Amino acid sequence: MAAICSLFIINKSGGLIFYKDYGSAGRMDTNDSLRVASLWHSMHAISQQLSPTVGCSGIELLEADTFDLHCFQSLTGTKFFVVCEPGALHMEALLKVIYELYTDYVLKNPFYEMEMPIRCELFDLNLSQAVQKDRVALLGR
Amino acid sequence: MIGVGKIKQYSNVLDKPLSKGKQEVSLSAFSFLFSELVQYNQTQVDNIAELERRLEDAGYSVGARVLELLCHREKGNRRETRLLGILSFVHSTVWKVLFGKVADSLEKGTEHEDEYMISEKELLVNRFISIPKDMGTFNCGAFVAGIVRGVLDGAGFPAVVTAHFVPVEGQQRPRTTILIKFAEEVLRREARLG
Amino acid sequence: MVKSETFPASRNRVEKVNAELVTLTYGTIVAQLCQDYENNYAQVNQQLDKMGYNIGVRLIEDYLAKTATARCNNFRETADMISKIGFKIFLNTTPTATNWSADGKSFSLILDENPLADFVELPDDGRAQDELWFSNILCGVLRGALEMVQMSIEAHFVSDTLRGNDSTEMRVTLLKYIDDELPPDDD
Repeated sequence: MAAICSLFIINKSGGLIFYKDYGSAGRMDTNDSLRVASLWHSMHAISQQLSPTVGCSGIELLEADTFDLHCFQSLTGTKFFVVCEPGALHMEALLKVIYELYTDYVLKNPFYEMEMPIRCELFDLNLSQAVQKDRVALLGR
Repeated sequence: MIGVGKIKQYSNVLDKPLSKGKQEVSLSAFSFLFSELVQYNQTQVDNIAELERRLEDAGYSVGARVLELLCHREKGNRRETRLLGILSFVHSTVWKVLFGKVADSLEKGTEHEDEYMISEKELLVNRFISIPKDMGTFNCGAFVAGIVRGVLDGAGFPAVVTAHFVPVEGQQRPRTTILIKFAEEVLRREARLG
Repeated sequence: MVKSETFPASRNRVEKVNAELVTLTYGTIVAQLCQDYENNYAQVNQQLDKMGYNIGVRLIEDYLAKTATARCNNFRETADMISKIGFKIFLNTTPTATNWSADGKSFSLILDENPLADFVELPDDGRAQDELWFSNILCGVLRGALEMVQMSIEAHFVSDTLRGNDSTEMRVTLLKYIDDELPPDDD
């Protein structure tokens, strides 16, 4: 596994629709993950308003001493973010790959209901391949 | 409704040369359309068996038109009259036109004389679809089963056609098998032809 | 351990299918609706629009993921993106955006080619030619897709070669930008 601790997907109203943790570090229960999601949703919105220039699209990277948080927001307002080891490489590219997996295995699935939690076997399967360490390393090329 | 009917003052479709079928569109366009077909039909049914039947019916009308189109374009208005001929027509020609490839395999059932199976490791229509656990063995390949039934029926080979997930050893994902069970009259005729 | 060396690159390729698969599948959908709504074409049009909307709200993410486009600066740019990129990617055809209104808020899309309607004839019941908009799903797709990127629009067909008209034309009108924080200046 790459240096990723967890992955969140938040819908445009701030609801957590997907959460997965990788490894023991930073594991949290359902309530905590929902809280983190809605907190991040608000902070992201605040960051847009704090910006001294117009057209700011919100926080993309949060660096702390023990972790990095990379966030990608699509123009529709769907947010994808990963929490990873400090300095982990290729996270923007990984988020793009995850976004594409979401458009394929979630949105093209007739049994997925928009804005609802994601329960799609093929998404899980392809996601677990995409976050493999050697796969992520390939994203750098 | 599509591609049939008399010449009308409104329409010039019959004057137009038949397309060669080489135009392409994105897989995404098809996948979203198919997904919506399934979603719409879900709103029209009370249970999974009905959903299966409606998808099969939708496929049937595609199959009937595919047969018309291909007999005209690829076979100079001739069609297969023998069982193996029509099966290989479905497995190769039809599959290639609709799904861009020949089907992975065509086999005869080992237990029943009247059964044949076309199998695909990953059916195009199922590419992005995960079946929820509460839907059991439901397979959106019912649409493709309907297409096959439409082709066979139109060619004079009535059959019951169904789609099934079949686990494959060493693979995470099951393949889809389209099971074809021919009507008795088909086998009798075939035996007569020798 | 990882077999596919081409993993990142292969995901960017737009996979194609034979247009006839889409034509036939769409034809089946319309036929199904005509049956379910007993040839009440007004209802069929409405249902097609609704189905298109459902597709649009999903398809927009696929479009954004594949093109990585930034937000459009004005509605003219949006019209260009729809015809030259959106239609091109999904249906491999490029309708013309034209007949702009003076206020720049509405335009027509002229579909010279329409993969949905290849070898289609409308039902010969003397009504379909006046009442059914065969490709109406496209109006819904645009409405759904643009709504997700904060544009409320209205779209409808004004002519269709299937009805014997000279061209197939969809009229698209911008009603408003949904979030007032985000809208760019539209001049």
